[in-house]
Amino acid sequence: MELDLEFMYATFFKILAGVSTTLELTALALFLAAPVAFYLAVLRLQGSPVGRGLVRFYVSFVRGTPIVLQILLLYSLLPSLLNTLLKAAGSSFNVFDQINPFWYAVVIFTLNTIALLAEVFRSALLSIPQGQLEAGLSVGLSRLETFLHVIIPQALVVALPSICNITVNLIKGTSLAFLMTVKDVLAIGKIAASFGYNYIESYLDVFVVYIILCTLVQFLYGWLEKRASAFRAARV
Amino acid sequence: MNLRPFDPAFILQVLPELLPYLGVTLWVGFSSIGLGSALGVLLAWARLSRIKIFKLAAGAYTYVLRCTPSIVLLFIVFYGLPRLVEGLLDEQIDDWDRSVFAILTFSLLFGAYISEVFRAAYQAVPRGQYEAAVSIGLSPLEAVLQVVLPQAALVALPNFGNSVINLLKEGALAYTIGLIDFLGKGNLIIAQNYGAYALEIYLAGMLVYWLLNLALEQLFARLEQKLDKGGGLKSGLRAPAGGKTGRKQTLAARLRLSVSLRPKPERKLAQGGEREWN
Repeated sequence: MELDLEFMYATFFKILAGVSTTLELTALALFLAAPVAFYLAVLRLQGSPVGRGLVRFYVSFVRGTPIVLQILLLYSLLPSLLNTLLKAAGSSFNVFDQINPFWYAVVIFTLNTIALLAEVFRSALLSIPQGQLEAGLSVGLSRLETFLHVIIPQALVVALPSICNITVNLIKGTSLAFLMTVKDVLAIGKIAASFGYNYIESYLDVFVVYIILCTLVQFLYGWLEKRASAFRAARV
Repeated sequence: MNLRPFDPAFILQVLPELLPYLGVTLWVGFSSIGLGSALGVLLAWARLSRIKIFKLAAGAYTYVLRCTPSIVLLFIVFYGLPRLVEGLLDEQIDDWDRSVFAILTFSLLFGAYISEVFRAAYQAVPRGQYEAAVSIGLSPLEAVLQVVLPQAALVALPNFGNSVINLLKEGALAYTIGLIDFLGKGNLIIAQNYGAYALEIYLAGMLVYWLLNLALEQLFARLEQKLDKGGGLKSGLRAPAGGKTGRKQTLAARLRLSVSLRPKPERKLAQGGEREWN
């Protein structure tokens, strides 16, 4: 077996251009999902029985089905649904031409991440003793203030390793965005490969890019974890 | 594009056509789990061995595979393996059944994920268990097989269950290399209908996967309960056998178990919270 090294070298830099798409998709999904997931986690812990049931149902459904199927389903549903809604509203906006599939990908990965993050936030909140909330209220903070200044900073430290896992999995998961014709790392590799049937070279490049990305993300989280848990060292 | 009304009845209609192909999906999934577990045992053993090169190699393998999207690995195996075999052995394997490539890919992945589970579980069993077994006259091999492994298996079970469910979900990707499995057949039906019924078929697929995973979750929970009754490490903790030394040992075991099973920061925080109150 001989690898076309020249092609691999040239393609590697082409593929690097797709990293921005992969990272944008990951970051957008995480930031859009986080507030909703936090709300769902609180709902699951303190909400009404109906609310709890709904959150449990949502989380179980998203976690119980393959992400490929979620992508295929929503990608065949969202555009035509949006089109019908806009037509009904009398708009002449052409959904199929004017919306970049990137945004469908953002919606799908956000919906998926919400479910995963909600579980992480829930268990992180559970690890904070109830006394912390009571103490915050007793010194005159409002409920919101107690959450913002007392509970969330502590819960975040607990949640960070799991959030790191979710981020790494999300980066890996966004490789499926090529199913929606989003030009991410894998899609560019696939296109580059199909000109001269250099599939293996191209996919090896993609493989290396993902390993570099994941390593960087894990370093970043390691650094964040150190910073976020700084308050512990200061307390002794 | 004009919209055809959504037809929920079609979900039920299409199921008899799809379900026979669930067999292919399950076959790929469970053979990968079998082969992957064997690989996982080997990797865990290498990680724990005293020989540095084994340790490093297994660690590197696990790290790299955990960073690789399964679809990329699937493509690498599917396009790369035939060329590798052709170059080395001068043999054509392009026409091999696609399930072979899928099984190989998912075994490689599952091995990496599960080796960490196995390693953690093995380390969760206190060293004293092994020493005690050897001190009453068991050979080292017997001690591992009859005393350490049954306890480690119980510790590994919940994470093993999670990994199995995750693998079955990843297995849905196999259709991308043209394997006619559950999802592959669904896509064929959609193609036959010129793109119609996509929603119904994908929904049917999701329902089947969801039910399958819920059933597996239940199965693993039951299994854990059942195995736990046998007086394993965990049940021993709840009702320690009489005698001072026996009690001490189980408490130590409990401590070590909770240390190794719980994520680190949580434990620190819980301690920190208590300290503040004192």
